Amino acid sequence: MSAPTGGTHPEAKGLYPWLDRRYGITPLIEFLKHKEVPIGSHSMIWYYLGGITLFFFTIQLVSGVLLLAYYQAGESTSYESIRFITTKVPFGWLVRSMHCWSAHLMILSLVTHMLSTMVLKAYRPPRELTWITGFLLFAFALGFGFSGYLLPWNELAFFATAVGTDSMKAVPGIGEWLLQVMRGGTDVSINTLYRFFALHVVVLPLLTVGIVAFHLIFIQRQGMAAPMAHDKPGRGMKFFPDFALRDLLLWLVCLIALASLAVFLPYGPGIPGMEWELGKKANPLAPAYPGIKPEWYFLWVYQLLKEFPAHLFGMEGSQAAIALVSVLFAVWALVPWLDRDARSNRASPAFTDLAMAALVFLAYLTLKAWDIGGGEGPLPDVRAVARACAYWGLVVAAATVVFRFAMGSARFFDFTAAAALQIVLHGFLGVSYLAAGAIAVLLLAVSLGVRMLRSRNAARATVGGAPR
Amino acid sequence: MPPVGEKINRRSLLDVLLAIGVVGWLASVLFPVLRYLKPLGVQTQNGPIKLKGEELSKLEKDHSVIVRAGAARIVVFEDSTQQLRALSAKCTHEGCTVQYVPGESVIWCACHNGRFDLDGRVLAGPPPRTLEKYSCTRESDGSVVVQLGRGPEAA
Amino acid sequence: MIALCAVLLLAAPADESKYPAPLKEFLAAKNKDGSPVLGDADRKALAALPDHTRDLLGAAAESVILGSAAHLKILLSLDLPPAALELVAQDNCILCHSDPGNQKGKTLFATDPPARKSNPLLNLKEFVSDVHFRRGLSCSGCHGGKPSDEMMTKDVYARWPKEDVRHSDRSWIPGFCANCHADSNFMRGFNPTLPTDQLAKYQTSQHGILLLQEKDSRAAQCVSCHGVHGIRNSRSRLSSVHVQRIPDTCGACHSDAKRMEGFRLADGTPLPTNQVAQYKESVHGKALLVKGDLGAPTCTGCHRSHAAMPPDCHSQYAKDNQQCAATAVSFRNALDTLVAGRAEITAPLERLAERGLDVEPLSRTASDLDEALVQTRSKVHTFDLSSFQAAAQPGNDAIAKGRELIAEERREARFRTRGLLAAIGFMSLIAAGIALKLREIGKRRIT
Ligand code: FES
Repeated sequence: MSAPTGGTHPEAKGLYPWLDRRYGITPLIEFLKHKEVPIGSHSMIWYYLGGITLFFFTIQLVSGVLLLAYYQAGESTSYESIRFITTKVPFGWLVRSMHCWSAHLMILSLVTHMLSTMVLKAYRPPRELTWITGFLLFAFALGFGFSGYLLPWNELAFFATAVGTDSMKAVPGIGEWLLQVMRGGTDVSINTLYRFFALHVVVLPLLTVGIVAFHLIFIQRQGMAAPMAHDKPGRGMKFFPDFALRDLLLWLVCLIALASLAVFLPYGPGIPGMEWELGKKANPLAPAYPGIKPEWYFLWVYQLLKEFPAHLFGMEGSQAAIALVSVLFAVWALVPWLDRDARSNRASPAFTDLAMAALVFLAYLTLKAWDIGGGEGPLPDVRAVARACAYWGLVVAAATVVFRFAMGSARFFDFTAAAALQIVLHGFLGVSYLAAGAIAVLLLAVSLGVRMLRSRNAARATVGGAPR
Repeated sequence: MPPVGEKINRRSLLDVLLAIGVVGWLASVLFPVLRYLKPLGVQTQNGPIKLKGEELSKLEKDHSVIVRAGAARIVVFEDSTQQLRALSAKCTHEGCTVQYVPGESVIWCACHNGRFDLDGRVLAGPPPRTLEKYSCTRESDGSVVVQLGRGPEAA
Repeated sequence: MIALCAVLLLAAPADESKYPAPLKEFLAAKNKDGSPVLGDADRKALAALPDHTRDLLGAAAESVILGSAAHLKILLSLDLPPAALELVAQDNCILCHSDPGNQKGKTLFATDPPARKSNPLLNLKEFVSDVHFRRGLSCSGCHGGKPSDEMMTKDVYARWPKEDVRHSDRSWIPGFCANCHADSNFMRGFNPTLPTDQLAKYQTSQHGILLLQEKDSRAAQCVSCHGVHGIRNSRSRLSSVHVQRIPDTCGACHSDAKRMEGFRLADGTPLPTNQVAQYKESVHGKALLVKGDLGAPTCTGCHRSHAAMPPDCHSQYAKDNQQCAATAVSFRNALDTLVAGRAEITAPLERLAERGLDVEPLSRTASDLDEALVQTRSKVHTFDLSSFQAAAQPGNDAIAKGRELIAEERREARFRTRGLLAAIGFMSLIAAGIALKLREIGKRRIT
C-alpha cells in the first residue's frame, strides 16, 4: 500500500504540497469544505455548547499546566504554594481565578449541552455512543471538580472532601475498601491529596482527552444530528468558514466574560459551592463547623443524603440515597436505548419532559441545599427553607413549561407534574421529602400505566379494524 | 454594489484590523503568561555570612566545606598554612561544584578535570576564568565569617 | 450520691441520742403545722459538727441564750465552719441579738434584715463573714463589755460618744479604729503585712482635714468606705474597697450632686460629680470593669486611698504649667493621629482582599501599628515627651508604610483593570472583524 499522496502534483514545491504528498491533507480539506451543519427550526445556539465546553476545557488544560509550575503537593506546601501563587507570583492570581472560573463555567456549559442534547433527541441512533462518551465526559468533569477542590488543602476543602468521600462507604460490598483506596487511609489526610493530585493532573486529563477525541471523531464521522422535524438533508450551514467562525466568535465572547469575571471576582461570585477563597489551612484536628458544603454541582446529592432518614428498608439511609443516585445516573446514561419513539424517529415528548423534570428535581434540591429562606441563624429553619425553595422550584417548573411551549414540544407533562407535585407536597403541605417523592412516583406510575393501556387499545383497535 | 476597488480596500482594512486584534490579543495573553513563568528573583545575599555549627565542624574535619550564600555556593577551606580562604564553588566552565584537594593544594573540578590554584586562578583544564575570591576570617570567638561581595584581596 | 452519704456517715457518727439534752428537745420541736422545725438539712448540718461544738451549743441552750429550735435553725443556716460556730456559741452578745424570740425590730441581727424590719447594718450573714469576726474580734471588741455577759452592762456604752452626738459628729470614728489599727504591735498579731499608718495619712487627706479640722461630718471616714459589720479583706470581690468596686464606693458620695453641694475646688469652681461616669467611659474604666484587668488604675490609683488628695502632679506641677499643657496636648494629638491612621489603613483592607490583592503586608503593618499604639499609650505616664515620641515613631512609620502599600495595591488594581480592558479591546476588535467577515460571506452567498 502506497503512502497517501493527496491531490497535489508530485513535483509541486512548497510546504503544503510537501505535507500533502506525505499525509494526504487534501481529502481532509475537501471534507471540511463540504461538511455542513444542519439548520433546524430551533435556535442554533445548542450546536455551539459542545464547542464552548471544549473551549473551557482547553483553558483548563493551559491554566492547569501553568499552575503546575508553582504548585507543590504536600502537607506543608500545598496551601503555602497556592498562597504564593495568588499573592506573590505575577499574574498568579489571574491564572488561579481563571482556572476556577473556567471549571465552573465548563460544568455549566457541559450540563446545558447535555440537556439540550436530551431535548433535541440528538442521542438517537446512530449516535448512542456519542451520548455515552458525553456521559463519561460529564462524569470525568465531576471527578475533576471533586479532586481539584482538595488540592489547595484549605479547611473548607478538607471538610467537604471528608464528607464527600465518606458517602463512598455506602457502596454495597466494597464500600469500605473503596473509601480507603480513595482516601489512602481510613481518614482524609495528605495521602488523600496525593491521590487526588495524581487523579486531577494525570489520570483524568488523559482519560478526558482520549474520550473527547472519540466524541469528536464520532461527530465528524456522523455529522451533527439534525433535529427531528428536519431530518432530511437540505439546507445546511457550511462548517467552514461559516460555522467555525461563529464558533470562534462565541469563544471570544466566552474569553472576554471569563477574563472579566476572573479580574473582578477573583474568588468567585460568593455563592456557597461557587467560591474559592483560600481561607485557613486544613487542620485535621480542627472541629467541623456548620455550613460545610460541596461545590454547587454536587449540592443536590448532598441534599438528597440529608433528606434520607438514618435507616430505610433495612438499608442505611445513605446507602439508599446512593442507590437512588446510581439508578438515576444509569437511567440517564441509557436514555438512547430507553427512548423507543426517538429510536424509530417519532417525536418523543416524554423524554423532553423527563429532562425538564430532572431539571426541576435537581433545582429544588440545590435550592434547598443553599438554605434559601432559612433565616440568619447558624442553623436554618428547615420548614421555612422547604417552603421558600418550593416557590422557586415551582418557578423553575413553570419556566420549563414556558420554554417547551416556545419550543413547540408541549405535549407530555407527567414527569414535570410529578416533580412539581413532590415540591408542593413537601414544601407547602409539610409531607416529608421522601413520602412526597413516593406519592409523586406512585401517581406518575399510574398515569404512565393508563397511557400505555390506552395506546395499546388504540393499536389493537386499528389492527382489529384493518380487515374490515 | 460598491465598485471593486473600494471593496478590496474595505477587505484589506478588515484584514489589518483583524491582524492588529490578533497581535494585540496574543500580546495580552503572552505577557501575563511569560511574567508568570519567569521565576521570582532569588534574594542575592550581600552581607557577611557566618558558618553554622555543623559547617564549622566539617571544616575542622575535612579542611573544607561548601556553604550556601543565597543562590551561590562558596567553598571555604583551610590551606596548608592554616590560613582560611573562600572561593566561589561554581566552576567557571559549566558550573559544577568544585572541591578542595588538601594533599595537592589545588581546587579541583571533577566534571572535566579543571584545576585552580588556591587564589582561584586556572591551572589546567577547560575552565575559562578564575573563580571569584572572597575574604574569609576567623573571629576571636572561633566563628568563621565570609565577606560577600568582592573581597579586598580580589581587587 | 451514695459515696457522699457514706462520707457523711463516716465523718459524723450522728448518734442523736448522744446529743446534749436541750438539743434533743430542739430536734423534737414542731412547727404549728406539725412538721419538725429542724429539717433534714439542719439535722445533717448538726450531725456534721464536732462533739465539742455541739456541746457548746447545748450549753448555750441550757442557759436559754440559745432560745429556741428556730434560733438554732438560723445559726445552722449560716453554714459556718465549726471554729466560727464555736465563737458564736460562746458569744452571748451575738446569740442574744440573733434570737428572733428575744429581740425585736432594730436590734435584731437577722439573715435578711429588710424582711425582719431590722437595721440593715445588722446583717447576720455579713457579720459572720467580717474579717474581724473571723479573726476572733466580735461585738464586744468594738462595743465594749464581755462576750460572757448575760445582760447589757454599762461598759457597752462607755467607749463611744453618746448616741445623740455620735451620729451627727463622726469625727470620733478614725481615732476609734486607729486604737487598734495604728498600733503596729497589736496589728502584727493578726496581719503583719497590714500598714498601720492609715490614720496618719487620713489626717493629711482632704477627707481628714474636713472631718477632723473643720468638723464637717459629711466627709468620708473609715466606715464610709469600709462599712461596719461585714468588713472584708480588700482582695475579696465582695469588699466595698475591692479595686473593681472602688469607683462605685467613691461614687456613692461623689456622684451625688446633692451631697457634694457646697464643696469647691481650689479655684472656686463647684466640685464636679460626673467623675465616676467619665471614669467608666475611659480607657482605664473599660479595662478595669469591662475587660476585668485588675491592674488597671481605679480612683485610688491616682487620688490615693487614705491620704486622699488630688493627684500630686496636677496640684503641684500641672496647674497653669504651659509646658505640661503643651506636652499633654501633643500626647493627645499623637495618639489621635495613630488611631486615625489605624482606621485609615484598615478601612480598605477588606475591599482590597475581595479584589484578590495581596493584603498580607498591609495587615501585618496594621498589627505593627497596634503594637506601637499600646507602647505609646503606656508611655503617656512617663510624662516624657522624647520617650513618648520614640514609642510613637514606629506607629507613624507603620502608617506611612500602610499608605504606601494601599497606594501600591490601588495601582495594582488599576493595572489589572486596564490590562483587562486592553485585552477586551483587542478581542472585541477580532470579534468585530469576524462578524464583518461573516456578513461578507453571507452577502457573497446570496449574490
Ligand atoms: S564544569 Fe568544571 S571543568 Fe567543566
